[in-house]
Amino acid sequence: MPAEEEVRLTVPATPELLRLARVTASGVASRLGFTYDEVEDLRLAIDELCFAVTGGKRQEGWVLMRYVVGGDGDTLEVHGKASFAAPGPEPLLNELSGAVLDALVDEHAVHRGDGQGSPSFRLVKRRSGSP
Amino acid sequence: MSFEPDQREELRRKFDQFADDRDPAVRSQLVEGHLGLAEYLARRFSNRGEPLEDLVQVASLGLLKAVDRFEPTRGVEFSTYATHTIVGELKRHFRDKGWAVRAPRRMQELYLRLGKVVSSLSQDLGRSPTIPELAADAQVSEEEVLEALEAGQAYRFSSLDAPSGAGEDDDGDTLSSHLGGDDPRLLEAEHRAALSPLIERLPPRDQTILHLRFFVGMTQSEIAGQMGISQMHVSRLLARSLDQLRAAASES
Repeated sequence: MPAEEEVRLTVPATPELLRLARVTASGVASRLGFTYDEVEDLRLAIDELCFAVTGGKRQEGWVLMRYVVGGDGDTLEVHGKASFAAPGPEPLLNELSGAVLDALVDEHAVHRGDGQGSPSFRLVKRRSGSP
Repeated sequence: MSFEPDQREELRRKFDQFADDRDPAVRSQLVEGHLGLAEYLARRFSNRGEPLEDLVQVASLGLLKAVDRFEPTRGVEFSTYATHTIVGELKRHFRDKGWAVRAPRRMQELYLRLGKVVSSLSQDLGRSPTIPELAADAQVSEEEVLEALEAGQAYRFSSLDAPSGAGEDDDGDTLSSHLGGDDPRLLEAEHRAALSPLIERLPPRDQTILHLRFFVGMTQSEIAGQMGISQMHVSRLLARSLDQLRAAASES
């Protein structure tokens, strides 16, 4: 995959700075021609998944975000992998969060990692018809 | 804030009852009986650049938590316990939103302007506009649009005329009053609602929007059309509701 089709961002695992994960997702999605509706969905989904891996609290460590453009430029795949100094909370994705994410994105998953502070998530959002 | 002795006795009796049966009607009465305290405490934080109505909402959420967690047998006055919980909630609000609240005024203004642009363009195009389309119409750059949307996130609590979040439809503001008719999808939505007591804590309108978006599968713009409010308002209400649900879920 050409380098220009992947954006990487490493963010300290604090709620304030994880906003940057959301901003970057919006920026990449916007370049792909996602609609306002879709960008808003993506932002909500990133919030939900970042919360799942950090527990919504500041953690010592980082979250590495990867934004990968796929399909014919109509699919955005977002990966978030935590690297905490100490084992963080169990990734939290309750039934409600699952239902919310089902409605927001095409695919989503949260992984516990090795239980040593490296939980991760992945989402896929496809652009609807061409604008 | 103070109560007459007989009022205090009445409240104490209700707390005992609520501790026994967790009756939502009693819970609602307890919350309403102390809204004055929530408002009083919210006012003490009102000189920090956040609209008072937002702070009252945050304080009301704290009050709700206090009512749910209060144990009358511990011998602490509820007002003491609730003050501690509400002030904690207000402080957390400022701490969590600190970064966002400092969004430049220019961006906040652009965000408000974009709300109108989203509505008119959606209508003209018959679909949700893209970010470049929004930028072109508002005569700003795409980056400014994205920055403004982010700044708008800070406003997720603002100018929302939501009730206290007591979770009761006692003002007649029910799910069906928003939707009218017997939408079969609504029945399913109500069924799904029963799955989550957390959702029931949200104001009725916020519950409706959550159902329509996440369980019925309507888009934000469709919901905006159905409810007669702007899409950005829908977006803010959704973000705020999810915020509150996550906070509640992580605490429970």
